[in-house]
Amino acid sequence: MHKTIDLENIIKNILLLFSITAILILSLIVIFLFNEGLPTFQHVGVLDFLMGDKWIPAENLYGAFPFIISTLLVTLGALLIAVPLGISCAIFLAEIAPGWARELVRPAIELLAGIPSIIYGVFALVVIVDLIKISFNLATGETIIAGSIILAVMILPIVISISQDSIDAVPRTYREGSYAMGATDWQTISRVVVPAARRGIIAGVILGCGRAIGETMAVVLVIGNVEKLPLSLLDSGEALTSAILLEMGEAVIGSLHYNALFCLGIIPFIIVLFLSIISSRLVSKRVSRFG
Amino acid sequence: MIQANTSDKIAKAWLWLSAVFIIIALLSVLGYVFIRGADSLSLSFFLDMPKNNWREGGILPAIIGSLIVVSIALLFATPTGVGAAIYLTEFTREGRLTRLIRIAADSLNAVPSIVFGLFGLALFVFYLKDFTGGPSLLSAGLTLGFMILPTVIRTSEVAMRTIPFSEKMESYGLGASKLQTIRNIVLPGSLPGIITGLILGMGRAIGETAPIIFMVALNPVIPKSIFGSGNTLTTQLYYLAMEGISMDVAFGTALTLIVIILILNYSTRALNKYFSRNLRR
Amino acid sequence: MEYKNKIMVRGLNLWYSGKQALKDVCVDIQEKRVTAIIGPSGCGKSTFVRCLNRMNDLVEAVRITGEVFLDGILDGKNIYDPDVNVVELRRRVGMLFQSPNPFPMSVYDNVAYGPRIHGEKDKEELDEIVEWSLKSAALWDEVKDRLNKSALDLSGGQQQRLCIARTLAVKPEVVLFDEPCSALDPIATGKIEDLIHELKKQYTIVIVTHNMQQAARVADYTGYFLLGEMIEFGKTKQIFENPKEKSTEDYITGRFG
Repeated sequence: MHKTIDLENIIKNILLLFSITAILILSLIVIFLFNEGLPTFQHVGVLDFLMGDKWIPAENLYGAFPFIISTLLVTLGALLIAVPLGISCAIFLAEIAPGWARELVRPAIELLAGIPSIIYGVFALVVIVDLIKISFNLATGETIIAGSIILAVMILPIVISISQDSIDAVPRTYREGSYAMGATDWQTISRVVVPAARRGIIAGVILGCGRAIGETMAVVLVIGNVEKLPLSLLDSGEALTSAILLEMGEAVIGSLHYNALFCLGIIPFIIVLFLSIISSRLVSKRVSRFG
Repeated sequence: MIQANTSDKIAKAWLWLSAVFIIIALLSVLGYVFIRGADSLSLSFFLDMPKNNWREGGILPAIIGSLIVVSIALLFATPTGVGAAIYLTEFTREGRLTRLIRIAADSLNAVPSIVFGLFGLALFVFYLKDFTGGPSLLSAGLTLGFMILPTVIRTSEVAMRTIPFSEKMESYGLGASKLQTIRNIVLPGSLPGIITGLILGMGRAIGETAPIIFMVALNPVIPKSIFGSGNTLTTQLYYLAMEGISMDVAFGTALTLIVIILILNYSTRALNKYFSRNLRR
Repeated sequence: MEYKNKIMVRGLNLWYSGKQALKDVCVDIQEKRVTAIIGPSGCGKSTFVRCLNRMNDLVEAVRITGEVFLDGILDGKNIYDPDVNVVELRRRVGMLFQSPNPFPMSVYDNVAYGPRIHGEKDKEELDEIVEWSLKSAALWDEVKDRLNKSALDLSGGQQQRLCIARTLAVKPEVVLFDEPCSALDPIATGKIEDLIHELKKQYTIVIVTHNMQQAARVADYTGYFLLGEMIEFGKTKQIFENPKEKSTEDYITGRFG
């Protein structure tokens, strides 16, 4: 008996160690990011870093503003496309799709979610970039809008599945009450069901937003990668993630350039973490009490 | 009245359209990759070494590299993730610690892939260079292992929680110890879910590029050991597309990757069907 | 004074997933009277009442034959005619459910919901309708100072009266009550029963109840259902004091159900 309990204790402690690994890894990421990134500010002011509009490592200029704007614009564009489309598809699946349509669309969404980002990037490079170039008569199709389009396709699965779960969670009694008063399907959906599912839908959108901000491979191939400040969706740009990817190969370890790139990484890291926390807070109380 | 019915019809048409768009998006991407990449595929494509800067030959090193890297990731994530899940479900109650672990796992899941790349670079390639061989397949595998850990923990935990309390009670009632119960009741019962989770993790690991982009070498040789560097299907695909070397080989690589992922995807479905038929749960 | 028939049901049959739940139901329901439908659990009373406003259409595996005519509604056509406007039908035939189900909105928005979906946009009109409906449901005094607060904060009894106000706001002619008091305490139940007594001056009321005493208190007419068939129908006094069918007598006297 004694032996079994000792063995059990040993195993318990080993497993405890395994469990803490997640916390450990997250802590290590934070430590390394900040350890390698913060030294930047010994040479570059925080405001200069965030608001400076010239990024020229050779001249020790590290203004990340163009990257921040590019990331903002490409994400906004992606949301503009994916949010209406995603919520509509979620409503479709939850409220009006016949069985066969559901059987077709749900697996399609799962497949879309499973396609590697690099493949989306390469597809966008050969198909979307040319389409943009021709449609808008531009010198090159490698633009922010190309990035937005492919990002929208990539974040649709998240937006759809979380929104659909929320809409499904709205009690049937609300729908019944609405129909009993002579409301049409669309009136019931738009005035009662979707408002009641508001919280969960917003959570889904926020997570999609986080995914778009953090995405690298699909964006870097199509966004153009020019280090000037983009002024519209039809301009080329360079996202934060793209900058890190492209320049790390040339940066010497321990150099200011190296530190600055880690510092760039801190920005999406913090933003995405923050969004993730807000999103889970929203999901824990899914059905809204107040319309 | 007529107005309400008309807007109802218009709204429904739009909702159908949105679903159609999803299908079109999927077919476009998959379809293009299939059509463009199919020509490149052949047995020699899979088994030969690339020659002449990828303009001839095959992509064998990338395939081997991907397999090695994913295996290392699984070797790390499986015991750690399943172990953590066992701890969370069997050895402890909900409290500060478990909530912290969950928050950490969820947050880890949200970390952008390029940040994992930076982290892996700093930790495995520089700090632990003497243990990992610097920019090696081992570093890449471990980085990916860290990345898929939350997935394995979550799916294993869910699978274990579906084991009804009554079954465990029966086991204890017969005099079994906690370890025996775990080994004989919990693990076998949750195996389908755990395996599904592992396959999901595999699918994710094999498709990632950014976390390992700084640790691979693009010279097309077969790595001699995990301490040496190699490349993977994903990084090779990035390199070929970015440098514009050969779009045909690029799409052949992409198609290979997609086929592997489709096989993994299909096998989770098949496994779920098999297990739900054979385990009356 | 003789009242007209408001609802006429002829040969109503209903199958749910192949199993027959209503058998050849024929009945005439008088206007501006309260008609109670009683019977043991699962006998089809709720199913029957839901046929009167076609709420059973929302359930997928349902098949219905027979006819239902409503005097003065849809030009007296059979409501199961294929070209009937179901939306209009449900405006004229309102329904209260077993558990109060106010929308997660303010009290005001709950009551204004019906008029809004039927096209009313004028704020003053809506204000009037809301006040009038809440007064008709004997709820106005309790909520007039908190119209913009969430309806979910009201008590169970208040929520049910809110649902009544909501239903009345679209000015129906028939109101169907599907076990409206089963989730309420005796005091709240009493208030609702008093309200029904008032409402029958204006509306034709059908109430499903598993509580025989309630039927005896509230209803002018009573129909007794068993296994999907209407066994007996008549004035409440006659059904309870002098039932014609043995089955009715057995149920009333509590031998089963």
